[in-house]
Amino acid sequence: MTLLQALAYFLREALVSLGRSFRVSMLAVGTIAVSLFLGGLFFLVADHLSRWLARAQEDAKVVVYLEPGQAIDSLPELTTAAAAPWVRKTLPIGADEARRRFLEVYPSLRELVEKDAQALPESLELTIDASQAPADGFDPWLAKLRGIAGVSLVDDDRDWLRQLGAVAALVRGLGLVLGGVLLGAGIFTIASVIRLTAYLYQQEIAIQRLVGATEFYIRGPFYFEGLLQGLFGGLLAAGGLAIGFAVVRERARESLLTTLLAGDQLPWGWLLVLVAVGGAAGLVGAILSLQREALPHSPLEETPVELEGPQGA
Amino acid sequence: MIQFFHVGKTYSGGQVGLEDVTFSLERGDFTFLTGASGSGKTTLLRLIYRGDVPTQGQILVNGRNVSSLPRSKIPYLRRTIGVVFQTFLLIERKTVFENVTYLPRLLGQDLATQKKLAAEALEQVGLAHRLTAFPSELSGGEQQRVAIARALIARPDILLADEPTGNLDPDLSWEIFKLFLAINRQGTTVLLATHDRAMIERVGHRVLTLGGGRLLGDDHLPPGDLTEATP
Repeated sequence: MTLLQALAYFLREALVSLGRSFRVSMLAVGTIAVSLFLGGLFFLVADHLSRWLARAQEDAKVVVYLEPGQAIDSLPELTTAAAAPWVRKTLPIGADEARRRFLEVYPSLRELVEKDAQALPESLELTIDASQAPADGFDPWLAKLRGIAGVSLVDDDRDWLRQLGAVAALVRGLGLVLGGVLLGAGIFTIASVIRLTAYLYQQEIAIQRLVGATEFYIRGPFYFEGLLQGLFGGLLAAGGLAIGFAVVRERARESLLTTLLAGDQLPWGWLLVLVAVGGAAGLVGAILSLQREALPHSPLEETPVELEGPQGA
Repeated sequence: MIQFFHVGKTYSGGQVGLEDVTFSLERGDFTFLTGASGSGKTTLLRLIYRGDVPTQGQILVNGRNVSSLPRSKIPYLRRTIGVVFQTFLLIERKTVFENVTYLPRLLGQDLATQKKLAAEALEQVGLAHRLTAFPSELSGGEQQRVAIARALIARPDILLADEPTGNLDPDLSWEIFKLFLAINRQGTTVLLATHDRAMIERVGHRVLTLGGGRLLGDDHLPPGDLTEATP
């Protein structure tokens, strides 16, 4: 039997077997699908968060707030520090502009800044080019800014971006753990289903051995069955994510949820990986289920029927 | 063709299946293997097709030492040996054609060749017209003949039969015995296990008698008259 003929035979037998034990097979497919969907969802969120963070870091700013009454022009040390090579853009914010921005964000707090024109201090916004970072990092430079007399506060965007990065890593880790655990459950379910199928076919397996079938020929359909279950599960998960992605993107435009779940294009190649992981999980389940463990006694053999190690056809 | 040299088989529980059995069968022999239940008939047959391994002695089949045959070579040994059991062991969900063509299919032979071989084997057992039937649609005798056709399809050198008529009535049993004799006349070595002494005496030929796992007798009976009706 050529390899192509063998594969066609395996596929045919696996499909017949899936049809025969449809319900338990669907259970295995469902378990794999749920595990990959949830794992994939976490990864999708983490992936989008990471991309969003990367973009935010490109526009990261350091804002230097002056003490009330201080003017930027009166602080030459600040002007010098702001001329560092990693400062891509400098934007002085006067008291009027600061008030305008405040009212834009907090219109209900108008009273706080209306009475006093100098209620909000001047500040200097410095856009940082991370690729030009000094060898010893930004910290010494930031410390220098904070040490300038007349500077009240130095706010570094990258502080909270780092914290958000940690959140993204946590989400990714959670996805990895949850997806891993559920994938393990899926593999176990597929292994159990394949083992049940092997029980169902034990007489046929014994007859195949009797007429001289190799282990490759006997095991092949079971491996294919596991592979198909995993692939179907992966396809369902990928399909579910793609549909969910489209729905979220359509219904929650411009919201934080959209940003986290569907802000970027869906990574199609990544969905293919998800399907491949499903297939691999199914195959692993099948291989695990056909280890050298005894199956029930066959009428042909006194010793338990064993599925032996793979051999050539 | 088949040679046993002081073969013994003791199971893990200490039960003795065979003890110091020595005999040889020549190519084209027709031999009965008889003895009471538990005498070791099935064990002996299983050792020939490597359904089990002896704990003592050596077994040669077609010049190959079956006892030391690696697992990977067992399928190739079995392709030269047809085996028939008391229970017909047909796959209910498969047709007669599919049941019979297991071996050609796994050898990758095309459908036309499979059909040709199936037709020949089923013709030999008188069931060429039941190609598309399922086992449940066949009588016991027909099912056993399908099992024999399955064993014959690869034109094996050796045909082993373990109580092949145990589930059949005397008329059908007689037909099956005659079928085995006809197969033997075409050159196949036949070793047929049965405890039906009347049938053995009716058919004649060589008879190996087992008792308690030992070979108690190796007799040659004169061939009987096969033209008579059921004995």
